[in-house]
Amino acid sequence: MALDFSFTEEQEFFRQTVRDAVNRLIMPRVKELDEKEEFPWDLWKEFASLGYLGLRHKEEYGGMETDTITQMIFYEELARGSCGFAMSVIMQILMGTYFIARFGNEEIKQRILVPAIKGEKIGTICFTEDQSGSDLGGTRTLATKVDGGWRLNGRKQWITNGPIADFATVMATVDPKLGLKGLNFYLVERKTENRDGFVSGQRLHKLGSRCSVTGELVLDNVFVPDENFLGEEIGKGVQYAGEILNEVRVMTGMNALAIAKEAMEDAKQYANNRIAFGNPISKYQLIREKFAKYWAWYEASRTFLYRCAWMIQNNIPCINECMLAKYHATEMCMYAVEEAMRIYGGNAFCSEYPVQRFWRDAKFLLYGGGTHEVLCDYLGRVYCKD
Amino acid sequence: MEIYVLVKQVPDPEAIVKVKSDSELEIENKYFTNFFDEIAVEAGLKLKEKFGGKVTVLTLDHRRVDALRRGISMGADEAVQITDPALEGSDPFAVARTLSAYLQNKPFDLIFTGRQAMDDDAGIVGPAVAECLGIPHIHSIIGLEVDAQKKEARVVREVENGKEVLICPLPALFTCQKGLHSPRIPLVMNVMKAMKAQIKKVDLASLGLSPTEVGAQASTIKIQKYLPPPKRPPVKIIKEDFPENVKTLIKLLREEAKVI
Repeated sequence: MALDFSFTEEQEFFRQTVRDAVNRLIMPRVKELDEKEEFPWDLWKEFASLGYLGLRHKEEYGGMETDTITQMIFYEELARGSCGFAMSVIMQILMGTYFIARFGNEEIKQRILVPAIKGEKIGTICFTEDQSGSDLGGTRTLATKVDGGWRLNGRKQWITNGPIADFATVMATVDPKLGLKGLNFYLVERKTENRDGFVSGQRLHKLGSRCSVTGELVLDNVFVPDENFLGEEIGKGVQYAGEILNEVRVMTGMNALAIAKEAMEDAKQYANNRIAFGNPISKYQLIREKFAKYWAWYEASRTFLYRCAWMIQNNIPCINECMLAKYHATEMCMYAVEEAMRIYGGNAFCSEYPVQRFWRDAKFLLYGGGTHEVLCDYLGRVYCKD
Repeated sequence: MEIYVLVKQVPDPEAIVKVKSDSELEIENKYFTNFFDEIAVEAGLKLKEKFGGKVTVLTLDHRRVDALRRGISMGADEAVQITDPALEGSDPFAVARTLSAYLQNKPFDLIFTGRQAMDDDAGIVGPAVAECLGIPHIHSIIGLEVDAQKKEARVVREVENGKEVLICPLPALFTCQKGLHSPRIPLVMNVMKAMKAQIKKVDLASLGLSPTEVGAQASTIKIQKYLPPPKRPPVKIIKEDFPENVKTLIKLLREEAKVI
């Protein structure tokens, strides 16, 4: 049997366990987390104590070393709850610690990675600046080689966990003229009395994913020692970033699946109970069509995303597939949340119902892993190439 | 302290259940551990943490081991599945006979289980196992203190308008009610352990039972017919103006809905 789309009994058990944890810890607080717009430290500590932050890291550092499909099951289930909280958790598990686990020396791993897996230190990754994001070649944060280390200068924007981060993996260029070929990653810690480091800049107030705090990080002539250079050689930052982007894109797609499903399940309940012209509105064809379209696209997205997860797990090259799957899933999610809003009619426009939160949270997924305009431009170019 | 916890996997409340025929249900493949059984596992783990010993989760299910993995992920030490095709169709008494056949020669101080399963809501298996084993049982406990020296337990349960406190010698079987403990959320390390855990499988022959003593043919409770819940009646809109609409509403509530 060459094709098998089923999850193993163990994977189903894992999904059920994560689902249960999300239902008990996060679901009862979703509305509060959105409205307060603050990082939920109590929830973070409780969730971290369960050990999920080590999902993809080595056992010797307190991790679990799970496979890619298991990780994706986790991301899908986690995002059913608060999208904002999921963003903070996933930043810690994936992007915020990836390069430290890969390139950090033993002292750095013990000092940074081990407490990060326990949730005692918060991490992040910094790509975006005022003139660069999807266009990494426009990075202007400058890394200058000095005796024993590097001096970093620049401002990073849209940094998930930025206002509370203890450490950051910062993308900086050795020379802006080199474009993509000048980029590298550096470990930078928060500035203290005894240590040079980044400081937090302006905090951003967002449309959605509001309990994941987001803001600027300022690097003002920050010195980091040589061991904080995260890489094997200078100028390979983009290559390294590319090696994590497949996971990031499929993960984002998983979040999109979760939000779309929550929104449409919620809308289904509403449509079955909301009476108009003597019938539940789910009896009307124009409403039913919305569910049918969503359902078709959701199933296609989910199958495609797990195929990508399987390809990543088996080291099969899949850059284009992961871009396509992220694009498809996120657009499917945009359709789902938009149509859920319409099913709710005027009630969608008040905060009493959760549908507006799904709509706001979903928008956050459009940008991570490359905006859809950038992805489509690239994919179209690849497709049309002779 | 040797503790056994009887656990059952039941359909998830989100699972779609349809009446397939008079005697058969079609249940979507979504199962989870009976909520009251999770409280029972928690009770066992709390005692193990206090007195040491071992917690074993035990289920009778020919197909599924979800509840056993859940028990291991919460912290149970061992998991045992009684499995045999002949067990299909067992009623609660046949289930109790089989479980007690496994337990009768085992050393134990306490057996816990949920007060009822959330699928059939029968609440029979726990007390029936205790009867088969000839040990005392207390149903629906909400408080528990164990004196290991005296080998007795002080148990609290709810009664109408109050609480009842009972002293019970051990070994005994207690069924657990909401309020006794809040089941812990498993650590991911234990989840991983549970995913890989070897489940000990026991068949009827090793219990000294013949297929005629279990399953549908040995069950005294026979399901006669499954009936789907009645469909929601159509919405009735009263189009009169006030006060006639109120009068009509009251009349309908009295005569049609019969709720007032």
